[in-house]
Amino acid sequence: MDKVVEACTRVEGCGNLTIYLKNDEIYQTELNFSVYRGFENILVGKKLLDIPKIVSRICGLCSASQTIASCKAIENMYGIEPSNQSILFRRILLSGELIKSHIMHYFFQSFPDLLKIFKIKTTINDPYNLINYNPHLTTNVFNLIKIGSEISKLIGGRALHPITPFPGGLIYNPNRKSLISMEKYLQKGIYYIETIIENFIDLFSAFDPPTEFNLSNPIYFGLKNNMGFDRYEGNLRIEQNETTYNDFQAKNYSKYFDKDPNLYGITFKSNSKNEILTGPIARYKLTQNYGIDKIYEYLSNFGKKWKSNLLFINFLQLIESYYEIQKSVEILNTASLKSKTKLKQLNSIKKSNGIGVIEAPRGILMHHYHLNKTKSVDQVKLFIATEINLPILNKMITEYAKKLYEKEDIDSVKEKVQIMIRAFDPCISCASH
Amino acid sequence: MKLKFLITSLTSCTGCISTLISLDIFPQFLERAKIEYFPFISDNLEIKECDVALIEGCVSEKNQIEYLQEIRKNAKKLYALGTCSAFGGILSLSNKKESYPISKFVEVDGIIPGCPPPPTLLGNCLLRLVENKKIELSLKNMCSTCPLNNHEKLDTPLTIEKIVPRNDEIRFPEENLSCFLNEGILCLGPVTRDGCDHLCIKQGLPCEGCLGPVSKGFTSNLINFLSLFNLSKDLRKYKGIFYRFSKSHVGGKN
Repeated sequence: MDKVVEACTRVEGCGNLTIYLKNDEIYQTELNFSVYRGFENILVGKKLLDIPKIVSRICGLCSASQTIASCKAIENMYGIEPSNQSILFRRILLSGELIKSHIMHYFFQSFPDLLKIFKIKTTINDPYNLINYNPHLTTNVFNLIKIGSEISKLIGGRALHPITPFPGGLIYNPNRKSLISMEKYLQKGIYYIETIIENFIDLFSAFDPPTEFNLSNPIYFGLKNNMGFDRYEGNLRIEQNETTYNDFQAKNYSKYFDKDPNLYGITFKSNSKNEILTGPIARYKLTQNYGIDKIYEYLSNFGKKWKSNLLFINFLQLIESYYEIQKSVEILNTASLKSKTKLKQLNSIKKSNGIGVIEAPRGILMHHYHLNKTKSVDQVKLFIATEINLPILNKMITEYAKKLYEKEDIDSVKEKVQIMIRAFDPCISCASH
Repeated sequence: MKLKFLITSLTSCTGCISTLISLDIFPQFLERAKIEYFPFISDNLEIKECDVALIEGCVSEKNQIEYLQEIRKNAKKLYALGTCSAFGGILSLSNKKESYPISKFVEVDGIIPGCPPPPTLLGNCLLRLVENKKIELSLKNMCSTCPLNNHEKLDTPLTIEKIVPRNDEIRFPEENLSCFLNEGILCLGPVTRDGCDHLCIKQGLPCEGCLGPVSKGFTSNLINFLSLFNLSKDLRKYKGIFYRFSKSHVGGKN
């Protein structure tokens, strides 16, 4: 048996592509992480109020998601809900983070691949070429990243590893000036994201996406709120197809999936042979309707072939950015936001188990903490989107690599399989918590 | 002549690099510098000679040492980007995993501290590096520019009982918030380098020390600092308050 290992480029974090060969045939291909950090172990014995700040450091792209999932788990133990205003600000903070995370991935990591796949431009292999490919697009991309950062800074107190989300709410005193400046940023953002979406449609919608990237009936996993697209509140749903699904509350998760904190990987208790998928495509399948006419129009540029293809993630990243900008503007325009947000009091712990779940940019993120009799944290389970998606990713890259290797050499296989890995937008920092 | 840059991660959350990409001056940086190696956004995996190497993350695995030494051999200047790289970072809290600052294994020409480095500080450092200039950090501690009142008058010896205020006690500097230490709340401002614009303090929370010490003698600073307090029993047992972002290099559990 031979093993070929290649470090992945243009992915978030340090990952390796490993290809196993037997008798000069590929039989297995995997994305591996070069590091495990052991956050589940670090959190044991920590004070509850200390945990959100520590888990933030799991990921430099979705730190607000980590922090807020953690706050929700702790609030679950205390049996409290933050004020409506705190929740609204948490939502805008999560939107700021999503915009930045999605746009960075789209532009730096996926866009050069899309240009290559559809043979529009095959020579972009460094960031200097990329930013000069379409300067107008580049400007819009950087403007959106800046908007994401500014929103995160205004509400989170810092652009990354936010300070303000706290069990009981969010420490933030909005003043007129910061609310106005937030709205101005977001209003401009609508124009920037529209331009990027239209550019995507112009460049790629006329093509059929490569069939190797087709998703073969994955089981979609995400938050389901009957009110519409929601990344903050809802039940969990595991959906095999539109008529076969399970909706359940997060507290009952172990009936459907679980993990051993000392072992790696999440196990789904399902009879189906199909793999689980979480993230933008699952959110799209579970929601169907975003409730915004313009999004409906944008989506109508793509047929069934695109909508069951992995590469559709890239378009949905743009659609979600657009949706969240619009929703944030709506919150700022309609909610009566008071100058002081009060944190809820943390009086007494009601439950020894606390579960907090949200949809991070890459999919379901769930924290589960357990307290022992002396009310100290003795067990932590972190369920992270990239870990959830790893089996389907490995299955798809194995099939793809096998097919490629029939006609191409191993270097070409390595290069092309990485395109598929990047299309999944794995967050290796998160997954290697 | 554009200077050649190498930017990479060891064990990290990628937050320093995402902060760098989010900087206003990042597009300008890409124009003014030549990126030789930057796996996060570039395909090249060959380590070539470069003028400036920026390393994010701590060393937690054996194979990272060799990788780091290879980069050092090829780099005229090498800087630690962020607190993990400069001091060991958040993994210092782990009792299963070792984490070291890169300076344990290679010579370092400077650090850009913070978790993540404050964008203004990072942007200024980057512009100086592009111009082949040395980077400059504040030599003062957080208290020297603290927005809170009465920070210079500590009523020692103080009894420190908490690491954060209670939810109903959280106030902002404009609400006449006074020094946390006087309130019995641990603030690491006195032993932490100035340069973040007091972001946590402005949100009504004490400094966690993410920018690291002003001088190299952190442990001796800390011992002097601790001599001013009586720590509550609960906190004396609690691991990782002082060394949240860097492990102690002298004995002791904390």
